[in-house]
Amino acid sequence: MSALDAAAPTFAVLERRSRRNLVVPVLFVLAVVVSIGTLGVGSYRVYFPDSVLALLGHGSHDQVNIVRTYELPRVLLAWLVGGGLAVSGALVQGVIRNPLAAPDIIGVTKGAGLAAVAALLVYPSTSDLELPLAAFIGGFAAILIVYVAAYRGGASPVRLALVGIAVSSVCETFIRLLLIKHVTAIGTALTWLTGSLAERGMTEVYECAIWMGVLLPLAYLCSRRLDVLGLGDDLAAGLGERVEHLRRILLLLGVGIAAAAVAIGGTILFLSLIAPHMARRLVGARHSLLLPASFLLGALLLLVSDAIGRGIDPPIEIPAGLITALIGGPYFLYLLAKAV
Amino acid sequence: MTSMAAESPSTRHRVLGRGRTFPVAVAVIGAIGLAGFVWSLSIGPEHISLADRIHGTFAPDQSAPQLIVHLVRLPRALEAALVGAALAVAGTVMQGITLNPLGAPEIMGVNAGAALLVTLSVTVATSMSGESVLVLAYAGAAMAAVFVFGFARLGRGGLSPMRLALAGVTVTAFLFALMQGIFILHVETASTLMFWLVGGVNFADWHNIHMIWPWLLGGSLAAMLLAAPLNVLALGDDMAQGLGQNVARTRVIGGAVVVVLAGAAVGIAGPVAFLGLIVPHIARSLVGVNHFLVMPLSALTGASLFVWADVGSRYIGAADSQTPSGLVTALIGAPIFIYLARQQRMSS
Repeated sequence: MSALDAAAPTFAVLERRSRRNLVVPVLFVLAVVVSIGTLGVGSYRVYFPDSVLALLGHGSHDQVNIVRTYELPRVLLAWLVGGGLAVSGALVQGVIRNPLAAPDIIGVTKGAGLAAVAALLVYPSTSDLELPLAAFIGGFAAILIVYVAAYRGGASPVRLALVGIAVSSVCETFIRLLLIKHVTAIGTALTWLTGSLAERGMTEVYECAIWMGVLLPLAYLCSRRLDVLGLGDDLAAGLGERVEHLRRILLLLGVGIAAAAVAIGGTILFLSLIAPHMARRLVGARHSLLLPASFLLGALLLLVSDAIGRGIDPPIEIPAGLITALIGGPYFLYLLAKAV
Repeated sequence: MTSMAAESPSTRHRVLGRGRTFPVAVAVIGAIGLAGFVWSLSIGPEHISLADRIHGTFAPDQSAPQLIVHLVRLPRALEAALVGAALAVAGTVMQGITLNPLGAPEIMGVNAGAALLVTLSVTVATSMSGESVLVLAYAGAAMAAVFVFGFARLGRGGLSPMRLALAGVTVTAFLFALMQGIFILHVETASTLMFWLVGGVNFADWHNIHMIWPWLLGGSLAAMLLAAPLNVLALGDDMAQGLGQNVARTRVIGGAVVVVLAGAAVGIAGPVAFLGLIVPHIARSLVGVNHFLVMPLSALTGASLFVWADVGSRYIGAADSQTPSGLVTALIGAPIFIYLARQQRMSS
C-alpha cells in the first residue's frame, strides 16, 4: 500500500514524460499533413489529390509544372527556414537565458538584412547566390560587434540583449537610408526585408538544406549542454563547463542557423521568438525535446503563414513575414501580459 | 545608471553640491547650442553673411538672402531645437515615472505607435490635413504608452529594466513590421515615408512650428510642474506613498506629458532615434538627480544635440541629396546606449 503510494508520483511523472515524448511525433505528422494540404494553394489552384498526383508526375502538364517548380520548393523552404529560425531562437533564448531574446533582438536579423539590402540596392547585379552570402556575412558581423561591445570579463546575457538592441537600431537606420537613396528597387527590398518564400526554386532549397543539414544536428548534439547552461553561470561552471567558451560556441551556432535561414527567406519576423515559446509550453525546458519541437512548430507556422500569404488574395502575394508578424506580435503580447 | 536609487546622506550632499554646476552647465550647453544654431543658418547652397542671418532671423526685409534665412533655414534650426527639447523632456519624464534608466519613448514603443498611425493616415487617408495627422500621432503614442505602462504594472515596479526594455523593443518591432506591410502595399509613398521614419527636420516650415509650439510649451510646463513629484517618486513607490504622494496620479499625468511631447515631435519630425534615451543621462551626469535641474537642462541639451545632429547630417552624403538628421542621432546615440548597457549589473 505505502509502496504504491510512493510510486504514484513516479507514475505521474512517467505519464507526463511519455505525453511529452508524443508531442514531437504528433507535430511531425501535423506538419506533413499541412505540407500536403497547402501544396496547391496559390494563384493557380491545384486541389488536394491532384496536387499530390501532380507531384508524383501524374496530371496535366501545367499542374505538374506548377506543383514541382513553384509549390514544392516553397513547402520545403518553409520547413528549412521556419524550422531553422525556430531552432536558432531556442538556442539564443537558452544562451541569453531570457525567453524574450531572439535573433531578431540581438542584432543578427537586422545585420543580415542590412548587408542583403546593401547588396541588392548598391550592386544590382548581385546574383541569387551572392545575396545569401551577403546576409550571412552581415549577420555574423553584427553578432561579432554585439559580442565584443557587450564583453566585459564575459558577455552577460543582459548586456548582449541591450547592445543587440542598439546595434539593431543602427542597422535599421542604415537600411532605411539605403531605401531612401535607391527608390527604384524599394519594392523588392521591402519584400525581402519582410521575409517571403515567393520566387524561390530548388537551387535555394539545396543551398539551405546543406547549411541546415550540418548545423541543426550540431545544435541537437548540444542540447544537454544547453540544459546545463540554463542552470546559471555558477552552477554550470561547477558542473565542469567552460561557460564563456560554451556560450560563444552556442551563440555562433544559433547565429549560423539564423543567418542561413534569413539568407534564403529574408528577415521573417517573430518566428524565432514565438516558436520556441510554444514548444516550451508543450514539451518543457529540456532541449533534447525542445529543439525538435521548436523546429516542427517553426516549420508549421511558416507553412501556414506562407499558404495564407499566397492564398488569401491571389495573384497578390502577401509576404509570409507579414503574416508571421501578425500572428506572432499578438501572441507575444499575450505572453507578456501573462508573464508580468 | 544607479542615479535613480534612493539618496543616502552622502549622495544627497553630492547632489546638492552638484546643483552649483547647474548655471555653468546651462551656460556651456546653451553656448554650444547657440553656436550650432547660427552655423545651421549658414549652411545651404547660398552663402549668406552673418549680418543677413541675424536680420533674417529677427526682422527680415524682402531681400533674397534674408528671405532664405527666414523661410527655409530658420524654421529648420528652430524645429530641430524644439523637437530635440521635446524628446529629451519626454525621455526624462518617462525615466522618472518608470523608475527605469532605459525608459525612453523610442525604446518603449511610444514613437513607433505615433509613427504607425501617421503612416496609416498618409497612405490610406491621403486627404488629411496636418493638424489631424498630429492628432493621430497623439492617439498612436497614447495607445503604445497605455499598453507599455499597462504591463509595466504602474505601481508595483514589477519588470526589471531589462525585461521592460526587451518588451518595449519587441512591441516597437511589431509596430514597424505593420508599417513595413503598409509600405509594401503602397510602394509609391514608401520612399517619402522611409525618409520620415529615420527622422529629421529636413522639410521644416513655419506651418509645422506654429502647429506644435503650443503643445510643446504646455507639455514642458507640465513636465516642470512634475519635477517635485518625480523627485519624491525617485525614492521608490513605497516611500513616495508614505510621504503622501498619489503615485498613480503622478504616473498618469507623466504619461500624458510624454504622449503630448513625443507625439508632437514624432508627428512633424519622425521617430528620431535615441534622443529621449541618452539626453536625460547626460543631464543627470552633469547636475545630479534633482528633476528641477535635470528637466530644463535636458531640454537645453536635447535642443543643442539635435541642432548639431542636423548640422552634421548636412555634411553626410552627396551634395545634391538630403540626409535625414535622425541618422546622426542614431550614430551618436548607439555608442552612448552601449556604454550605458555596459554599466548594467550582471543580473537579469
